[in-house]
Amino acid sequence: MASRYGPLPLNDSLRDITTQVARVPLRMPARVPWLIALILSLALLALFLASITYLFARGVGIWGLNIPVNWAFAIHLYVWWLGLGHAGTLISAMLLLMGQDWRNSLNRFAEAMTVCAVICAGMEPIIHLGRPWFLYWMFPYPATMAVWPQFRSPLEWDVWAVMTYLIVSILFWYIGLVPDLATVRDRAKKRCWQVFFGIFALGWRGSARHWAVWNKTYRTIAAIAVPLVVSVHSEVSLLFASGQIPGWHSTIFPPYFVLGAAFSGFAMVAMIAIVMRHTFKLGHIVTARHLDVLAKVLLAMGMMTAYGYVFEVFDAYYSGETHEIATVHDRFFGEYAWSYWGAVVCNFVPLQGLWLERVRRSPVLLFLISTSVVVGMWLERYMILVTSLYKDFLPSSFGHYTPTFWDWSTYIGMLGLFMTPFLLFVRFLPSISIFEDKEVLAREKEEAAHA
Amino acid sequence: MRDLPPMTGKRVWRSLEEYQHSDAFGEMLKAEFPSIFDLWTVDRRQVLQVMGASLALAGMSGCKPVRSDDVVPFVNRPEGFIEGRTEHYATAVLFDGYAQPVLATTSAGRPIKLEGNPEHPTFRGGSTPFMQAAILDLYDPDRSQAPLMGGHAASWADFDGQMTRWRDAWAKNGGAGLRILLGPTTSPTLLRQIDGLRKALPQARVHLFDPIATYDGSAEQGLRPKLDQAQVVVSLDDDLLGPGPSQAVHARAWGERHGDVSREQRMRLLMAETTPTQTGAKADRRLGISPSRLPMLAQAIAAAVGLSGGEVRLTEKEVAWAKEAARALTEARGRSLLMIGRFAPGHLQALAVRINQTLGNLDRTCELAPRFTFAPAAGESFLDLVRDIEARTVSALFVLGANPVYQSPGDLDFAKLYASVPLRVHAGLHVDETAARSNWHLPLPHPLEEWSDARSPDGSATIIQPVVRPLYDSRSIHEIIAALTADQPPAAKDAVRQTWAGQLTDDDAWIGALKTGFVQVPPVAGAIEAPAATPAVNPPTGRAGEVEIVFRPDPMVHDGSFANNGWLQELPKPLFKTTWENVVAISPAFARQIGAKSGDMVRVQANGRTIDGPAWVLPGQHERVVTLFLGYGRTRAGRLGTGIGYDAYRLRSAANPWAATGTVKVLGTAAILATTQEHHLLDAEGEDVVRSVTPEHASAVLENDRDQESFYPPWPGDKPAWGMVIDLDRCIGCNACAVACQAENNIPVVGKDQVAKGREMAWLRVDRYYAGDPEEPETYFQPVPCMHCEQAPCEMGCPVHATVHSPEGLNLMVYNRCIGTRTCSSYCPYKVRRFNWFDYTTDAPSPTEAQRNPDVTVRGRGVMEKCTYCIQRIEAATVQADIENRQVRDGEVMTACQQACPAKAITFGNLADRGSAVREQRSSKRNYALLSEQGTRPRTTYLARVDAESADG
Repeated sequence: MASRYGPLPLNDSLRDITTQVARVPLRMPARVPWLIALILSLALLALFLASITYLFARGVGIWGLNIPVNWAFAIHLYVWWLGLGHAGTLISAMLLLMGQDWRNSLNRFAEAMTVCAVICAGMEPIIHLGRPWFLYWMFPYPATMAVWPQFRSPLEWDVWAVMTYLIVSILFWYIGLVPDLATVRDRAKKRCWQVFFGIFALGWRGSARHWAVWNKTYRTIAAIAVPLVVSVHSEVSLLFASGQIPGWHSTIFPPYFVLGAAFSGFAMVAMIAIVMRHTFKLGHIVTARHLDVLAKVLLAMGMMTAYGYVFEVFDAYYSGETHEIATVHDRFFGEYAWSYWGAVVCNFVPLQGLWLERVRRSPVLLFLISTSVVVGMWLERYMILVTSLYKDFLPSSFGHYTPTFWDWSTYIGMLGLFMTPFLLFVRFLPSISIFEDKEVLAREKEEAAHA
Repeated sequence: MRDLPPMTGKRVWRSLEEYQHSDAFGEMLKAEFPSIFDLWTVDRRQVLQVMGASLALAGMSGCKPVRSDDVVPFVNRPEGFIEGRTEHYATAVLFDGYAQPVLATTSAGRPIKLEGNPEHPTFRGGSTPFMQAAILDLYDPDRSQAPLMGGHAASWADFDGQMTRWRDAWAKNGGAGLRILLGPTTSPTLLRQIDGLRKALPQARVHLFDPIATYDGSAEQGLRPKLDQAQVVVSLDDDLLGPGPSQAVHARAWGERHGDVSREQRMRLLMAETTPTQTGAKADRRLGISPSRLPMLAQAIAAAVGLSGGEVRLTEKEVAWAKEAARALTEARGRSLLMIGRFAPGHLQALAVRINQTLGNLDRTCELAPRFTFAPAAGESFLDLVRDIEARTVSALFVLGANPVYQSPGDLDFAKLYASVPLRVHAGLHVDETAARSNWHLPLPHPLEEWSDARSPDGSATIIQPVVRPLYDSRSIHEIIAALTADQPPAAKDAVRQTWAGQLTDDDAWIGALKTGFVQVPPVAGAIEAPAATPAVNPPTGRAGEVEIVFRPDPMVHDGSFANNGWLQELPKPLFKTTWENVVAISPAFARQIGAKSGDMVRVQANGRTIDGPAWVLPGQHERVVTLFLGYGRTRAGRLGTGIGYDAYRLRSAANPWAATGTVKVLGTAAILATTQEHHLLDAEGEDVVRSVTPEHASAVLENDRDQESFYPPWPGDKPAWGMVIDLDRCIGCNACAVACQAENNIPVVGKDQVAKGREMAWLRVDRYYAGDPEEPETYFQPVPCMHCEQAPCEMGCPVHATVHSPEGLNLMVYNRCIGTRTCSSYCPYKVRRFNWFDYTTDAPSPTEAQRNPDVTVRGRGVMEKCTYCIQRIEAATVQADIENRQVRDGEVMTACQQACPAKAITFGNLADRGSAVREQRSSKRNYALLSEQGTRPRTTYLARVDAESADG
């Protein structure tokens, strides 16, 4: 039961929180479901490895790409994965700085999800290269011929953005994890776990000085991470907006992409929160109140994304550009209209249920709506890419795009690349922040006592 | 090429099994190869295995040009040899037996490129796709490489041994029973040799097999147009600008009278056609008409110019067109020309001569010319041969340079007849359908490998000199035919030299003729008779519910002889933009009627036989006409041409090979067509893409073309600024530029599967657009190379500097820096970039790599490529200019497409040079940039088409 003083139930003791969270890595309560999930994701990972082995052996021609649609799955999934990741950073860093306590039950696994998603996102541009073995040419290494990367290219910005984002995300996640690693180290019974957690706890003893330094570091990294969410996805949108292709060449793209990213990311966090809460019986820590707040944010993000949709259409007509208008028409009625209307329906129709508190607090409904949003955003990224490319300016070079088996196998396999490390994280590390929740509970109790 | 099915050994042997019923073959086997004959009678399967292995070995050993294994590279450079320098030789390749004069470029002894011969008086350097692609035939890996006896590798010594016996027999009986079936030829040497043969063996007969003319040997029209003299051309189904031996000549005449010429100079073209052609696409007034009504239209014109004609009933549209045609013809009396297509019946050909005579055009815009192709005497047509075979009077048949088993009309069953001839000898470039059913197959050399001669359509001759030693164990047709009568036949060179002994008397004259690449042949004395008016044979009109079917050679593989040429197969047909197969062309109205759309399989029935092919809804096609294209459905063409498309020869009848009536049924299945461009009528989205100027609006510049401001500084002017202007008024959409580009720039062939996926590699494409009513559309052609934008969107997208701008304004592509992000292509508004989705080059079959241009990088997997403005040519000219301490002169650099264009529609040069032709053209009022509103400032611009007539005509 959530108290009126905060998201956590007052009748729990601080010790309860530690016990509930730490038992997950130490005594795996849901061993069988976890194993099944791990086997499934390892199978997907194997599919991914097989797919990219074939890809590297033969070339990107195994996908359905062509001229004009020479970017498809790899790039649209790059945007999609990166978008999913953004919610983790927003929840952890932004809400931390804004002092939103409720984020303390969600931030840890949201950050882990971010790291996994950014790894997947980072893979996409690599495997989509015609000659991936020359990937390092995108980095400013001291080449004998003194050739540098081309800094005007949005792809180059991508390299920097993703690398920065990945490093900051991992740092933020790890720093936030240190006190809890120490807790788990202290609670571990087996020697191997004690050593394992001991190493990663970096000798944390919980002294006041430790806490002081930790607080400073954590908040500094958070302050760095927050603008990154905006800059990284703005930059991703420029990958499209810098081109002259109708449907891409629009100034609305950066905010439109950032909001869309946060939208899909919050949906992803909601999905994971609900699954973990259910599987590991963490109802006392991830409470209905948390779901309610998450759903409200999701609704807000969704409505802002919808605004982007409206203005994208408005922009096209307002510009009077025949090609822009033709692309919008084509999205409405053309060959890939299913992707446009699919995105509109999946993103915004079930979402409207979240106006009702009953729906917001229902784990099943929220899960379904979130799934719909993740699918909808997937369709949106596909739509933005394919519908713009397949018909651009000259009618003679219009084409088609149909994903092949290898397009799908690479994508579905990559879900394994996302899930496998995440499952290992859930299994071996405290997936919810123990000390931060204790802090919240302590404060709640204090406030309750004063009242 | 990797996705194409390799030719399997199986196919070879499947047809051999047909031999098991042939006694003649068995007997021969017994006489020549007793050991194999034993096996043959005991266990055929084993024979097949034995022979299969031997053929495979022969094939493998023959794959590479012959080279001894103890070669040693030279230490001291031979005098006069400069590495990397190319040599040029004037020679000719053949099209329908006619010479197509070329300059062959060789590098280190291997021919790598053909250009039109600029010295030639009528071709003047123009070329056609077929001329450009002929070099690939030289390196065709499926070419026949050694003589075959009954499909089994044999040697020329074996053949000579046999020949001695046959020759003795023929010498005794005067050649009784000996027949020669000759493909179309103009070779004076061959004609001389045939005369000699006829004298030596009076009983022997020489038959003509020309599937592109008629089977009954009736003469083609004697009217030779001089298009460059004509101001008004009325064409009745004569595709003057389309594929043919005179295409380059006609296109040049077209080009000279289009573009920036005065109104008086401008050629007016009126075209009535049974199926849309390039000529119709370019015509000022076009009329679609069914073949059965064409004679009436011709008669109407004849009547209007003052010849007595029968009563004709025409539709309103046809009357209007005929009236206008007649008025145009008479108004320009003496400067007008009426042509009738070679597929039209004979009496119309005669009518054309009479009309031109009446108008005083004869000897001004056209002339009656003697026929200098091989003309069969009475009783020597192909149908006569067929009759004789049926009568069993043919004991030996030599098929030289023809493929009658494939190209015979379907009502003859020639394959069976052929098998009934006791001795069958085939000579050709490929082990084709006919070769597979012959006792002997003899490999012929490619024209670039051996001495010969041939005449161009204008009558001048070209001595065909070899530019490379024969790659395989082949023997010239001249030697083969001489061996029929002589024990020690002269070598081909001596035979040719002997033919010209009278005219090219000394070595200087001979060498002079070789250098210039042509010999003027003095006209034959005596007036030429106008063809007699033959009785009118009107094409069948068909019963109710039937459509009229017309047969046409395929626009790119012609009669099927280019079927194994990957460049031509992958070249989009000018009007359909389909590749790798032939289609059944139907009109939009008929398509609606039968409920078919492009790609739907239809069954066409005619003459009691059927073929199944994919429908193609062709704007401008006459409603009641269905067009079938010859040249596909081959069973033994080689690894590329075998088993694709349908075989239209099967529907043909011997009596009326170019027309039929029949029915069309939709089958309910659909084929995947490999098109490079879909049907798109120009709507609001594309209206500015191709532009026209009219007398009222002389400027092609539109409101939104205002030169937009840019943040970037203008391009510095101290260097050459390379630019290109393409004149859409001159372009006839022939694709010569596209093949020339492919040959020059080592562009790979990727196969039907890849083209269907949208991965064709052509750096230069010719876009085709329609505007207006689909039944009577305006057709536009637009060649699109890289625009070399001054503000190139592609360049800012590349993260690794793989596409950059040169100081001379070229948009460069650095292949070895490219990592394949494809951002450049995504950003390119013109979509001219091509990507190596797979490794398209490593596994190209040997010896095709010998054709590659050593000055152009062969691209590997995963890199982007595109038009470079032939930078290798620019650099070569710049180096030469630097050596001579001067600027590059205007016209010194010719891009491959520019050089190939027969209509001179492409101009290239230095825009910074005030006197350059390209600069002058760019200042034309017709000049416009493609998608100028994008602010890319393209260096390639277009000159708008001229609509000299207002819309209502």
